[in-house]
Amino acid sequence: MSTITLRRSEADSAPLPTGRHEAFRTASGGLIDRRRPLEFRFDGTRLSGFEGDTLASALLANGVRLVGRSFKYHRPRGILSAGSEEPNAIVELRSGARREPNTRATVAELYEGLEARSQNRWPSLRYDALAVNALAAPIFAAGFYYKTFMWPAAFWERLYEPLIRRAAGLGRAAEAPDPDTYDRAHAFCDVLVIGGGPAGLSAALAAGRSGARVILVDEDHRLGGRLLAERRAVGSRSGVDWAAATIAELESMPEVRILSRTTLFGVYDHGAYGAVERVSDHLAVPPAHAPRQRLWRITARRAVLAAGAIERPHIFGGNDRPGVMLAGAVRTYLNRYGVLPGRRVAIFTSGDDGWRTLADVAAAGGQVVAVIDSRPSVSPALRREAEAAGARVVSGGYVAGTKGSLALKAIVVVDADGSSETIACDCLAMANGWNPIVHLDSHLSRRPAWDAAIHAFVPGTLPSGMVAAGAAGGRLTLAECLETGAQVGGEAATACGFAAAPRDTLGTDPESIAHTPLWRVAKPKGKAFVDFQNDVAAADVELAHREGFRAVEHLKRYTTLGMATDQGKTSNLAGLSLMAELTGQAIPSVGTTVFRPPFTPVAIGAFAGHHRGKDFRAIRQVPSHAWCEEQGAVFVETGLWLRPAYFPKAGEADWLESVNREVDTVRSRVGICDVTTLGKIDIQGRDALALIERVCANPFGTLPVGKARYAVLLREDGFVLDDGTVARMGERHFVMTASTANAAKVMQHLEFCHQWLWPDLDVQMVSVSEQWAQYAVAGPRARDTLRGVIDPGFDIGNEAFPFLACAEVTVGGGIPARLFRISFSGELAYELAVPAAYGDAAWRAIMQAGSPHGITAYGSEALSVMRIEKGHAAGAEINGQATARDLGLGGMLAKKKDYVGRLMKERPALTDPDRPILVGFRPVDRAQRLRAGAHFLALGAGPSLAADEGFMTSVAHSPSLGHWIGLGLLRRGPERHGERVRAYDPVRDADIEVEICSPVFVDPKEEKLRV
Amino acid sequence: MTSAWTPRSAWAGFARAGRHGRPQGEPGVRLTLRDGVGLATVIAADGQEDALGRILADRFGWSLPGSGAATLVGERGLVWSAPGQWLAVAEARAGLQGLAEALRGVAAVTDQSDARAIVRVSGPRARGLLSKGVAVDLHPRAFAAGQAAVTSIAHIGAQIWQRDEAPTYDLAVARSFAGSFWSWLSHAAAEFGYEVDREAEH
Amino acid sequence: MRIRCPYCGERDNGEFSYLGDAAPRRPDGLEAQASAMHDYVYLRDNPAGEHRELWYHGAGCRSWLVVTRDTRTHTISDVSPARDVARSRRPGEAA
Repeated sequence: MSTITLRRSEADSAPLPTGRHEAFRTASGGLIDRRRPLEFRFDGTRLSGFEGDTLASALLANGVRLVGRSFKYHRPRGILSAGSEEPNAIVELRSGARREPNTRATVAELYEGLEARSQNRWPSLRYDALAVNALAAPIFAAGFYYKTFMWPAAFWERLYEPLIRRAAGLGRAAEAPDPDTYDRAHAFCDVLVIGGGPAGLSAALAAGRSGARVILVDEDHRLGGRLLAERRAVGSRSGVDWAAATIAELESMPEVRILSRTTLFGVYDHGAYGAVERVSDHLAVPPAHAPRQRLWRITARRAVLAAGAIERPHIFGGNDRPGVMLAGAVRTYLNRYGVLPGRRVAIFTSGDDGWRTLADVAAAGGQVVAVIDSRPSVSPALRREAEAAGARVVSGGYVAGTKGSLALKAIVVVDADGSSETIACDCLAMANGWNPIVHLDSHLSRRPAWDAAIHAFVPGTLPSGMVAAGAAGGRLTLAECLETGAQVGGEAATACGFAAAPRDTLGTDPESIAHTPLWRVAKPKGKAFVDFQNDVAAADVELAHREGFRAVEHLKRYTTLGMATDQGKTSNLAGLSLMAELTGQAIPSVGTTVFRPPFTPVAIGAFAGHHRGKDFRAIRQVPSHAWCEEQGAVFVETGLWLRPAYFPKAGEADWLESVNREVDTVRSRVGICDVTTLGKIDIQGRDALALIERVCANPFGTLPVGKARYAVLLREDGFVLDDGTVARMGERHFVMTASTANAAKVMQHLEFCHQWLWPDLDVQMVSVSEQWAQYAVAGPRARDTLRGVIDPGFDIGNEAFPFLACAEVTVGGGIPARLFRISFSGELAYELAVPAAYGDAAWRAIMQAGSPHGITAYGSEALSVMRIEKGHAAGAEINGQATARDLGLGGMLAKKKDYVGRLMKERPALTDPDRPILVGFRPVDRAQRLRAGAHFLALGAGPSLAADEGFMTSVAHSPSLGHWIGLGLLRRGPERHGERVRAYDPVRDADIEVEICSPVFVDPKEEKLRV
Repeated sequence: MTSAWTPRSAWAGFARAGRHGRPQGEPGVRLTLRDGVGLATVIAADGQEDALGRILADRFGWSLPGSGAATLVGERGLVWSAPGQWLAVAEARAGLQGLAEALRGVAAVTDQSDARAIVRVSGPRARGLLSKGVAVDLHPRAFAAGQAAVTSIAHIGAQIWQRDEAPTYDLAVARSFAGSFWSWLSHAAAEFGYEVDREAEH
Repeated sequence: MRIRCPYCGERDNGEFSYLGDAAPRRPDGLEAQASAMHDYVYLRDNPAGEHRELWYHGAGCRSWLVVTRDTRTHTISDVSPARDVARSRRPGEAA
């Protein structure tokens, strides 16, 4: 096993700088860069390490073993693993706005100035007050929360939740906004290789050589996987050198993209994958303009799963004590990081694999004091190796317990005869076989399969297009990793149409993976943990079994086994094996829980990417935006649009005063409002009118060219979809408008009607919402104002251009424009549409032309006040539950044509005379304010669902009338003009008497409209 | 009055001329603001696609691109937008004069010259920049000069067509989204360093 | 999920919106019965298996599509333009 001569690079063998105190750092060796020392802090203490270290390896190099406190019992915890499966060494990194909780020290790359703190301890890591929980362990058993915090219910939020949160939380998130940026990117490839160990490198090489587009992702910053952690030979080279040469070849291929520091966290349907690249996590602060992390959405035709395997811990008393580690992790620290995890190391193994640790410890200058092999016999060769290293061998025995307060001092070993003894050691390496990482291949609701040969779950039916290679597929030896990787990588490329490339034939040094797992020791001394992160012990699994929570999903939820950030990477199979034993079943019969993305935690910021703060969602600006901003307009978001709500003037006390002025000015002189936000759909073609007739509930057959008409659209279920106008610009050319909120929905509806319902209609439709800036110019002086804007030669007088006329005109000396005589305010009004690039110019020209007439700009608030004064239904009334009849539009519906919603609007419930129908309201005491949302009750009736007669939909303060007015839907409303009801609004503590009236408050005879 | 009627760039208030983002080295991305471009939606009447193709070829020298394609000669030509629907492009809005007349009865022509904000993206990192927002494979094996796509970028509807193998792309988004789109574009381009050719007018 | 639009090629499902069962056929015309319209608006099958359903490529070419998808596995076996499917229906026939 140790016969290979290993060549190390120059950097690796440079001498340790003087004056440093990494007592557990080997004199040479490892893949760290000893020329680049780094300083960091852990719980305020200054420590040192090297570039290439993780926080975990640097802590171990400094002799720091106690790293955190456990979740429930606050037991001292150290470092178990050397990878992303770490359940114990969870720390808080950085400070201030960059403070982040729950990072595994085993994957945190060391950088100069790194600040790390232990979590879940108070007042300090060494003296943790809540460690008394451990003394009360019996009451903290599985189901404790369910059983204890049940009664009384009033205590749930007041007492229990804060209590539990304080005691059981992990780290602290930053309270200030994250100062870093996050990026996202899309990538496409023929072959995606997940994992950059020997199998993944081989697969990428085979696929890359064939010319396929390859993406190779690996969560580590350095590719190589276990090759970096073991002293192995590949062909004539060391594993490390082979990996380096392979990476160099891959990097030379233009169609191969290597994403290191990238975790593939999710597998989705049809070859879609999610990955997060930690672009700058290894730096104190991201370089200027570089993101902190990047979320990748990868689409691959084929995927090779080469994610490797995770070593299994043993379940024995005190197996959570700092110093008890996975044997593979011990070798990683020795070989990759040049760190001795202990000076006196004991090995507890159930297979040949664990014995590799013996030679590695010895080679690094440590002492192996004992090898405890749970199998009854140990081969003479291994025995000789142990003797040569001065280590005792206990075969057929086990480790029953551990000693030491904050770190391991000794283990209690029970031999084959059952007699026990204590062996002093400061590190215990446990090797209980390896579990292939079956998470990713299980994400699409697939279940892994049991492989009896390696006593582990392996991928079952893989997602379409995915194949497994190496340890991830249950092929645990290095030779198999190289072989299967090259094979499936080549096949994946061939499946994508690339010719197979020649393959290297590579031998490796011999390796035995024979093992007989020991699922738990016979008689543990002390608490034997199954799930370290959730403090679930073997006894908790037994309790779950006794209380009937035997199905895996019940076991998980009752004990919390396999939950939290590590998602049971080191514990799932252990829990299953115990339940199998308790229920007398085989492990595969117990089953597995469902694996879901993400594989490891992903920051929400990475998912949000650019879309936060002002970029949380896209914003649409109106063509008059620049002018509105110059004028100090107050903007409001309506859908994605940013619209001016009102234009405050100096001396105005509040919004109401500004809005009142705007309304007054429009009603007495003239105003301009940006209505570009309305949807505008250009409809042309032979059957344009036929389509309009079928989608609109009112008739259009008689609409002449040059005229516009109000339009109401129903949904097929009979409710109102939207309203707008249809203008006939030519014989076969119409422009339909839709409300701001429903513009996209109406366009989609029209496409549906055309493409799916009536495909034979010859219609050409396109949105022109963005082409035209459209301004309402309203008020008695509107015509006078527009005469100063529209080119001479166009007669816009009342006779030539009456109410509801439309025409193509020009402005500004020949710029094409459209003019519509339509009114939402009830005043003499026009809507002028100009090409959007001229929107700013047109607005300014209208303001200039209107200046002698006293023009004002008005915003969406004044617009709303005036439409309420006129009783026009809008979004609050067209609420998805109102019929045309409810809105007082029943009379205009066509009788002699078929249209969407025609039949269903006649359903008995929709024609019930008792339905709430649109009417107006005014407060009996005119000084009182109305509130939208208030419910109507008969005078004297108490508030109850049965007494509910409808609700107020919109309210406004009417400057024209000098008091508040409202629109609402009231049972049999139109029959009840003059009657009084209560407007009951318990949310805002209002209950006032209102009088029912016509919804048209201003100019009911429409005298102002048609002049 | 006439002097005041000047068009305003869709990028006005957002794009600023000069070098931005990573300051070292050559800019990875060049952004060219395209204002005043003539655009029109051309939608064939049912059964008239062949006639449309003939008229466009005879009168304008254009060929009708198939789905996912663009046929541009210089700054003029057609970009496929939807089945039976194309975006006619000309260097200036006057360049499309006569189109509607020529296609009467064969296709609906709708002026869209003001409806889009267009930016030309080039430079060595153009493809990398676009991959941050475009969920379409832009690798040369999958998308080459003369190809076009309608998709969304950063939740904003976008049309993209590749002009040459440099590669150079034209990107068009709805005008009202120009500010939000520029915010995404400048954020995404910052790590490569980018240069904006000129100030947006007005 | 990814859907292969017959015009635009394969795209992320985020570009599409879902409507539902493509089988119901609208009873057109003034002679249509309310009961038939009720069935068209409300009655839907919910099969575990192959399902023909309407999707809208709203962020792409704005085509309505008939997608044949296995509801158990998301396997998509066919995507056709809805307008073509609708044109090929005989009167009175479900899609």
